[in-house]
Amino acid sequence: MHLRHLRIAVQLACLGAFLLLFLLTEYRGEDVLAYPVSLLFRIDPLAALADALAPGAFGWALLWPALLLVLLTLVLGRFFCGWVCPLGTTLDGLGRMLGRGTMAAVPSWRRIKYYLLLFLFVAGLFGLQLIGLFDPLAIFLRTLTLSLYPAWNLVTNQVFEWLYHRQVPVLSPLADAVYPFFDSYLLAFHPPAFTLAVFTLLVFFAILALERIERRFWCKNLCPLGALLGLCARHALLRRDPDSPCADCSACLRECRGGAATNGGHRGGECLMCMDCEGFCPQGRVRWRFGNLRAGQGVDLSRRGVLSSLAAGVVLAPVAAGTPAVWQRHSYLLRPPGAVAEEEFQARCIRCGECMKVCIGGALHPALLDAGPLGLWTPVLVPRIGYCEFNCTLCGQVCPTGAIRRLSLAEKHKTVIGIAYFDQNRCIPFARGEECLVCEEHCPTGEKAIVFDVRAVRVGDEERLIKLPRVVRNRCIGCGICETRCPVAGVSPVRVTNEGESRRPQDPWA
Amino acid sequence: MTCLDRRAFVRQSLQGALAASAFGTLPVLDLLALPARAASAPVAVAVRKGGDIAQLVADTLGALGGMGRFVRRGETVVVKPNIGWDRTPEQAANTDPLVVRAVVEHCLEAGARSVQVFDRSANDARRCYVNSGIEAAVNGLKSERVRVEHMDRRAYRDIAIEKGEELTTWPFYLPAIEADRFINLPIAKHHGLSTLTLGLKNIMGVIGGNRGVLHRRLPESLADINTVVHSDLTLIDAVRILVANGPQGGRLEDVRQTDTLIASADIVAADAEACALFGHKPTDIEMITEAARRGLGTLDPARIERV
Repeated sequence: MHLRHLRIAVQLACLGAFLLLFLLTEYRGEDVLAYPVSLLFRIDPLAALADALAPGAFGWALLWPALLLVLLTLVLGRFFCGWVCPLGTTLDGLGRMLGRGTMAAVPSWRRIKYYLLLFLFVAGLFGLQLIGLFDPLAIFLRTLTLSLYPAWNLVTNQVFEWLYHRQVPVLSPLADAVYPFFDSYLLAFHPPAFTLAVFTLLVFFAILALERIERRFWCKNLCPLGALLGLCARHALLRRDPDSPCADCSACLRECRGGAATNGGHRGGECLMCMDCEGFCPQGRVRWRFGNLRAGQGVDLSRRGVLSSLAAGVVLAPVAAGTPAVWQRHSYLLRPPGAVAEEEFQARCIRCGECMKVCIGGALHPALLDAGPLGLWTPVLVPRIGYCEFNCTLCGQVCPTGAIRRLSLAEKHKTVIGIAYFDQNRCIPFARGEECLVCEEHCPTGEKAIVFDVRAVRVGDEERLIKLPRVVRNRCIGCGICETRCPVAGVSPVRVTNEGESRRPQDPWA
Repeated sequence: MTCLDRRAFVRQSLQGALAASAFGTLPVLDLLALPARAASAPVAVAVRKGGDIAQLVADTLGALGGMGRFVRRGETVVVKPNIGWDRTPEQAANTDPLVVRAVVEHCLEAGARSVQVFDRSANDARRCYVNSGIEAAVNGLKSERVRVEHMDRRAYRDIAIEKGEELTTWPFYLPAIEADRFINLPIAKHHGLSTLTLGLKNIMGVIGGNRGVLHRRLPESLADINTVVHSDLTLIDAVRILVANGPQGGRLEDVRQTDTLIASADIVAADAEACALFGHKPTDIEMITEAARRGLGTLDPARIERV
């Protein structure tokens, strides 16, 4: 067996394991998740970098596996890219179907990923964290969560529903027999739907389409995680022998998907450790073995490129910070319970989508511009679509970077996300003199935060006694179930604003 | 593409319209509402008190002649407790799990072929099923004839409400309609809008759609949906009752231990009897008077027989 086959087997196993963890990112009858479902991000050195650059202490407890990966990379090279990374595996697999391009890409393009990493690092250092936008693991999980899994649920449910109602001979009994298994293990309890589904998928398609230019274009030229691991892998102990192409053959120069084989020697930082060269070497000369520490090949960055990336980070960070605070212009920006203060939140959140996947009320959605121009894909709570379940603490349990703190149930019950208010022009009892009180019924706080006053309301010529709802300020935690369940069509007359949220310590209410 | 001539266009349009209108009528099931019962027969209502829940359920059902009066051998039964909220049994927002379990046991003893237990919860259904204790209590019976199940999203169907005054059609959950017997198992508790929630209100757990809009004319709407879903037996759990901050509760200060069960084949009579626990008169509660007016049961003291 070639190493290549072993590598493919490991890739598929890792992809399967990540998909399994993805499916397990759901409430299954226990308040505390039994599995480390966000493992993918806890081994992510970019997540660790974002965490390290954010204000506040480094989350050792969460992110130590990422440092382990870095140590392993120092020894084994960029094995993560070739053997583990689910985006890499997806590109390998789908690239074949899509048709891989053989355009001779410009060799200097592979420098882009280092410039990008440098830019992200410097911007992070100055308080602007954009790592999540480019982290391949975040891109992968985000696409799965926001686009592919909802689509899978929709289509599968429609097929089952159609067969259930039509009772097609043979097919329908078969579908009814397998439905419980799908329902329990492969389908979401509540069919998910997210606001940025299409946009997220387009980004993923764009990365896929790059395969038409060159095999593993993203990994080779753009991926900042690849760049980070590449920097660690330059002196890796596991090395290819021979180091340089043989005089009589140039197969590796042609075939190497990472562009690691060069006339000047084997570039450890570029090598994806796919180990295909062992197989395609016509003479069977290539061996992989642990050797002594050798001088790695330098990363031949241009001075101009480095200075430009540095400058871009240095300039963009303060410019972004110089925009007015988000809550001054956006009352409806709600963050999950346990989210740290906005500035730190944006610096910690790597936009991985774990919280949105696990949210059982379907309340968390990715922001487009709601959280400022650079808050793309950060989670916002949209109460009209879903609400924050009173006794649920799952989002804090899965957040890999501490952007959402893990809350105890008692803390959660006291954590204020915002406060509800009534638009009396549209709220049914006020505006039309009819009874409603759905919001009061669902309000989950022990002593209800929505109460009502019975008042005489003139409706036309008659005077009716109507129960008019009212929010009690210091009981409302902003869970948003009133807004979700409000039966009025369109924008809810009861809405939650972020006024008084717990994470804003300067607020007089907190 | 071929060009359509005028005749073909007209013909195809008409055919299409015909097909569409025929198709449009398909998903609407037209169930005849239950026939009104003889207006003169006496209605039995059983009220029992006791600390041992299994015994209490046995006594209450025994007073009505036992579960065998309601469930016959080989029938399919739906037991519909209130599993609406993510609350524990002590918080008295859902039907007591031991009451549910005992009633299901009686159904099995009466020879039911299958017993299904479900509710369309207001909070996340998984959390409600677990924290209400009902899932575990019923599964503890370890009978293959019993299933505590989440509502199957495929199984809602629009049904025309023949006797509807407020609603003409609404999506209902088919297993609740199609079962041979429907046993209504509400908990008695406070409700901000309707003052109390009892048997009539508990039927909201077997309908789909945007249930919130029913609140605008709740008494009328409840009466309408109760004409479609007929409860063969209504057993009201008042072991613990919630006297404020209902229907969801959450504070133990609002819970009263009353150790009472109320049962009747007549949903209106059962609901009316439960009002006394809260110090209300049934005639003050509009959903009950509306249901009585519509012939869903009786409020007439002359016809109600305490057993």
